[in-house]
Amino acid sequence: MSSWLDYTINGLIVGNVYALVAVGLALIFGVSRLINFAQGSIYLVGAYIGWVAVVQLHTPLPLTIIVVAAAAALVGLVIERFGLRPLQNSVRIAPLLATIGISFVLDQLVMLTFSPNPRALPSQLPDVRFQVGGGTIGPLDLLIAGVGLTSALLLFVFLRYSKLGWAVRAASQDRDAAMQMGVDVNRVNQAVFGIAAALGGVSGMLVGMYYNQIDTAMSLQATLKGVVAEVVGGAGNVPGAVIGSLLLGLVESYGVAVFGTSYRNLFAFLLLVVVLVLRPNGLFASARQAPPEPLTGTFIAPSRPLRIPRWALLAAAAIFALLPLLPVSFYVLQTLINAWLLGMLALSLTLVAGTIGQVSLGHAALLAIGAYTSALLSLSAAVPVGLAIIAGGLMSAALGTILISPSFRLRGHYVSIATLAIGEIVSLVILNWESVTRGPIGISGIPPLSLFGYDLVSPASIYWFSFAVMVALALLQARLLGSHLGRSFRAIRDDDIAARAYGLSLNRYKSLAFIFGGFAAGVSGGIAAHLYSYINHETFNTQQSILALTVVILGGLGNVVGAVVGSVALVGLPELFRIAAEYRILIYGIVLLLLVRFRPQGLLGTI
Amino acid sequence: MSNLDRRTLVKGSLAAMMAGAMSRAAFADSSEPILLGVSGPLTGPNAQYGTQWKQGFDLALDEIMAAGGVNGRKLAYSFEDSQSDPRQSVAIAQKFVSDSRIVLELGDFSSPASMAASPIYQRAGLVQFGFTNSHPDFTKGGDFMWSTSVSQADEQPLLARYAVKRLGLKKLAVLHLNTDWGRTSRDHFVKAAKEYGAEIVVSEGYIAEERDFRSTLVRVRDASPDGLILISYYSDGALIARQARQVGLKQVMCAASSVYSPKFLELGGEAVEDVHVGTRYFPEDPRPEVQKFIAGFKKKYNGQEPDAFNAYSYDAMNMAAAVVRIGGTDRRAIRDAFAKVKDVPSVIFGTATFDVESRRVKGAMNAELVVRKGQFALWDGKPT
Repeated sequence: MSSWLDYTINGLIVGNVYALVAVGLALIFGVSRLINFAQGSIYLVGAYIGWVAVVQLHTPLPLTIIVVAAAAALVGLVIERFGLRPLQNSVRIAPLLATIGISFVLDQLVMLTFSPNPRALPSQLPDVRFQVGGGTIGPLDLLIAGVGLTSALLLFVFLRYSKLGWAVRAASQDRDAAMQMGVDVNRVNQAVFGIAAALGGVSGMLVGMYYNQIDTAMSLQATLKGVVAEVVGGAGNVPGAVIGSLLLGLVESYGVAVFGTSYRNLFAFLLLVVVLVLRPNGLFASARQAPPEPLTGTFIAPSRPLRIPRWALLAAAAIFALLPLLPVSFYVLQTLINAWLLGMLALSLTLVAGTIGQVSLGHAALLAIGAYTSALLSLSAAVPVGLAIIAGGLMSAALGTILISPSFRLRGHYVSIATLAIGEIVSLVILNWESVTRGPIGISGIPPLSLFGYDLVSPASIYWFSFAVMVALALLQARLLGSHLGRSFRAIRDDDIAARAYGLSLNRYKSLAFIFGGFAAGVSGGIAAHLYSYINHETFNTQQSILALTVVILGGLGNVVGAVVGSVALVGLPELFRIAAEYRILIYGIVLLLLVRFRPQGLLGTI
Repeated sequence: MSNLDRRTLVKGSLAAMMAGAMSRAAFADSSEPILLGVSGPLTGPNAQYGTQWKQGFDLALDEIMAAGGVNGRKLAYSFEDSQSDPRQSVAIAQKFVSDSRIVLELGDFSSPASMAASPIYQRAGLVQFGFTNSHPDFTKGGDFMWSTSVSQADEQPLLARYAVKRLGLKKLAVLHLNTDWGRTSRDHFVKAAKEYGAEIVVSEGYIAEERDFRSTLVRVRDASPDGLILISYYSDGALIARQARQVGLKQVMCAASSVYSPKFLELGGEAVEDVHVGTRYFPEDPRPEVQKFIAGFKKKYNGQEPDAFNAYSYDAMNMAAAVVRIGGTDRRAIRDAFAKVKDVPSVIFGTATFDVESRRVKGAMNAELVVRKGQFALWDGKPT
């Protein structure tokens, strides 16, 4: 029995830690309707500034906190001024991509400055422990709880009673109306980013001290858990974020208690999906609250797509088809094979995210389902590889659609978060379902690609195979989009209420989109499995999902050619920057930011 | 239109780069260094391990150069950053196999990245020398896959003997990283520990990104073990040790050799005091190759203590040099040389000779250490 008390206390303690990130995310979401993916990076920056202050400058704790808060706030202001403000009149999705780019740049800058080796960040508080239940808590636990609760309370008071707080709330309810009433929205945004960043920086430092460890990989995890906690509490709701965090901590802790450590994150993400299904706006969203997204239309702004003449497409296709006959190296071919595989994933995502407006952040799960299905069928049941890949695509279509269906009733950012969670769940199920997936050991010895009994092992044959499959899927998708079905998809994206009024069944069309998209992604995963010969739960990770979304936004949402161009660009650029060694991801992030800044509707425009 | 131009541009410049690389290769002569390809993480979540590799490589190369190089020629490596991502490691593999200057490849770090590239190396006939690849199936990828990674089937029984026979622990809690390495290690450890007569009362796998172990440690406490076994890397091992002491667990802790790093001491602080570690070498180890390695490392890197990954990469570069000495610059001859090379001085193995069947090295050295006063020291046999 006493163990349950311990699990509860531990859950609250770790929930405390999540709350620090979640509050900052909630604040920004409240005003900008933006999930700030750079929040984890500010947290990282705060941790390293804290390290410099503590270890090199030997500042006392209160001064350390002030220094970190000020420096992080400054970073936040710079991000707001130069990263996001120029985008405020462009597509709603552009700032999201910008925050992803900013987080790349910040993480890389920290890594280059401090080296990726983890460092110890000693706590400056006396090391006394208080016995609580079967365990103990220390002064740092209390400080973290204090900072979390105090900042949530202060923010609550600030938003409710101060004039700037009113302005923040007014701007979050209706930007245009607030501007008409004379609210300086830019100043509001500045204030919000400054506060959120200061909080993020301090939390990074405190968490670093808590674990006596900081390293450059902490940023993505912090963002993920923070986003989950924030959305559970009701996005944009500051006290809700704190309660959501504590709840998340408790669910994880009880999950460990009942099922064991390796199920921990599974419970975190299941909690998120369950909450979103039952209460699509989070636990603490009031019924009166305006819909979380300006319904639609502004989320994915219409733009004039770049028309590419048919002969140019044909010529490009011909050049790429003939490429292996030219004296190009295997390295170039392999890079393009990667681009075609990513292209299939991007086709899938551009359909569900661009054409029908369901921005998915868990698309790598579809790759994984296709890959595991195809690998296991060809290994255990000796199914010919060509058939196994098709089966992988079908399985991905079926299973993917079923898994994603709970998110059909969600809108805007909530779809992204739900799909992110579903993606993580798939990966964790693969890790834990050992009897089928072989767990962390992974599947090795997957047979190479083959068609009608001929092994495709030479780079040229793999190139042709993947190129042909991608072109076939692209043509099919283009044909689909030109039909009545494509128009219905776009109608749902642009105004789902009007679409429903016209008698379109939203769920049915969303399912159709996911079935087609799931197939393309599953085939891509299947081919990858046979290409790599070894896969495990890490092969298709969250970074792949984020990359796919970047490709889609970069190419132009819903744009079939754009998806392919975006894939070639995002696979090719990091390879081109190889010459820059450690700096290449930094350069890649900067290029991404510039592209978003100057071509927010994507290279080829939204269709 | 502009899109077409852009694509041709990208493609053109790629092709130009490759053409440049190839023409240079054609003019390679004995004044040019013998080149090894390294595929590993320099950015991304595993970047720390790539930087540790570099330190070990560079030290070994300095020594090889000081001794006159290899067959009268210089030895050098070209490090390509893969982020431990299979998509990038396969592209790097194609780059290396089509670059005729590369005679041997080292890496990658993670199993998905390494084993995805194996078919390419195998088909092209370039040795993939995966010196940290403990996955039992790595060398089954083909006769061009060789590894000096200590097989977990060898290492874990040593750790089990330390914990059960020497420290006298009977009821063990095993905490392991839930990766292919951690899982394989755990299975070998559990098997050996049971043979020595111990009981495994609880076994918990955690993911690499995990930071918070308090609830896991409650499970451990409720199973009332008399010892904790950490199959961890140094960063997560230090976290577990700290939190175990914070929640009041006072049991003996015994950790796998992968925590052997000055960082473990730095990150763990007082909490890792008295933690037992089974390692392959230790600072006061009288073996000459160890003394040379540690002294050289400290000299080159401002007094920094080397860790396990530094030692792996240092050994790997020395092994590569020994193999090239026998095999020359022909890729196939180099593969054959792996079977011929005998008794190469090694920090990890003492002397390393490949078992031709498994293409791995057997018989890792064993040292039983304990953390005393913030330093790794040879265990004196006294109970803690």
